[in-house]
Amino acid sequence: MKNLWKRLLGRRWTFLAVSTAVFAGFEFLICAVVAGIDLPALFAEVSKNFPPAMKGLIEQYIGGFGSADLLAFAWNHPVVLAAGGAVAIVLASHAVAGEIEEGTLELVLGQPVSRGRYFAAHAAFAAATLAVMSLAGVGAMILGQRVYHLRAVGAASIVLMAASFFLLQLTWFAVTLFLSAFGRTAGRVSFAGFLLALLSYLAHTVGQLWPRAAFLVRYSVNGYHDPRSIAKSGGIPAGSLVLFFLLIAVFLGLALWKFERRDIP
Amino acid sequence: MAPLVIEGLSKRFGPIRALDGVSFSVEAGEVFGYLGPNGAGKTTTLRIVLGLIHAGAGSVRVFGQDPKEVRSRLDVGYLPGEVRLYGDMSGEAILDYFAGFRPGKPPRLRATLVEALGLVPSDLGRPVKFLSHGTRQKIGLVAAMQHDSALLLLDEPTTGLDPLVQSAFRALIRGFASRGRAVLLSSHVLSEVESVCARVAILRQGRIVTVDTIEDLRARTLRRLEVRFKGAAPAGLDSVPGIARADIQGSTARLWVRGDVNPVLRRLAQADVERFVFPEAELEDIFLAFYAKGAA
Repeated sequence: MKNLWKRLLGRRWTFLAVSTAVFAGFEFLICAVVAGIDLPALFAEVSKNFPPAMKGLIEQYIGGFGSADLLAFAWNHPVVLAAGGAVAIVLASHAVAGEIEEGTLELVLGQPVSRGRYFAAHAAFAAATLAVMSLAGVGAMILGQRVYHLRAVGAASIVLMAASFFLLQLTWFAVTLFLSAFGRTAGRVSFAGFLLALLSYLAHTVGQLWPRAAFLVRYSVNGYHDPRSIAKSGGIPAGSLVLFFLLIAVFLGLALWKFERRDIP
Repeated sequence: MAPLVIEGLSKRFGPIRALDGVSFSVEAGEVFGYLGPNGAGKTTTLRIVLGLIHAGAGSVRVFGQDPKEVRSRLDVGYLPGEVRLYGDMSGEAILDYFAGFRPGKPPRLRATLVEALGLVPSDLGRPVKFLSHGTRQKIGLVAAMQHDSALLLLDEPTTGLDPLVQSAFRALIRGFASRGRAVLLSSHVLSEVESVCARVAILRQGRIVTVDTIEDLRARTLRRLEVRFKGAAPAGLDSVPGIARADIQGSTARLWVRGDVNPVLRRLAQADVERFVFPEAELEDIFLAFYAKGAA
């Protein structure tokens, strides 16, 4: 396990460090934006010629222009979703399909290491990486609020929003790992993983913006990651927790089931 | 107990029958050759032994264990047919990485192997992606052999190695056998198998054609004998016992002999021979004889 972790860290540390820096940097920057710009006034100025329906839609998408709303939106912004999703999907697609594509899995599994242990090492590494990334976001947002004298969202709420973000990204890891267990090339698996994540994001966004498509939110994984409601209620809805844990368990289980049974390479 | 015992092993990939009832065993202290052309099923067999591919039917026992058990691979060194290493790692890091999977078994042969195969520090210090195919092959060999494992599985091990290194490799393999290690050497380079193996199995389209000693295989094969006479070739050569085929053109006769050669030599002694060539049987001849028979 330690050997595999060391290898994964050695190989991916640049990518992981950059993704984490982008993510944490964005969380910090959003504090600067919220503290330094009067966004409600700016939005009112910019949107004064917008049709009322469009103004309503934008407000609904962002969730309001209060400081807490904007900081909560920072955990659901496309930039952070892309940074987290990239880490989850790249790690999952390379865990099996990428190693098969490179021809290295044969040599690794020819060593006295079980497929279960190999699989567990990759899953644990991804979970640890996403946890570190989420905690970096927590640290950046707490630091940003201190630096810019904001008291919009408490540390406990930030941790919960980060936990929700972590569970969402771990779900994408599990789904992509399931695809990876069947695949032979990392590129195709990554593409499929990104496509699913994108479809989920679009379904969630369209469902939020268009009342007639509101039913889509229920069918989007992103619909269960709702930082705004966490910031308001101070807790992750039980339904979201159940869904995330269920999806993670089912897809990791199916991925391991397939991985144990497939012929390598 | 033999380190490796394979009985009735079969495997299909969809409609393709990759292995069909393969049986053989490799004893401790033995270098066992596994011969066959590309696509015969050699690599599939090795992958099943390592638990990489699941057997369709039959049984494989590695030190008495099922290949699905991790314990079966504790004392096995493996070199794949196509050595693909992490390009971003240095040779040294790769050797350490693979050694890390056996924390209780230090890579005590590494220095010896590195020296014998002619690897220099600069080879081991550079990222593998910048190394030649031959150097990568050497690193793969060191990774497979560095633990002095009780069973070595080597798939086409001399691919890309120059003749001097091939010779060093053969000496290393003999050393393994002399220390009681079992070696399964898969190859289609027949001279390589001939020079180090005591027994060989010949595989054709997933089936074992024969398992025999090199000596017995030689005895069973057709050997070519070329004779030039001072005058015309004597008549009736093709009816001499042991001669399977005779091509006679003027004063030159090409004879294919099977088994005891003495009747042929006695008949030739009665003639006036100018030139006589009777080379050592090559495994190629044996191999082709089996294939020709199979094709017929």
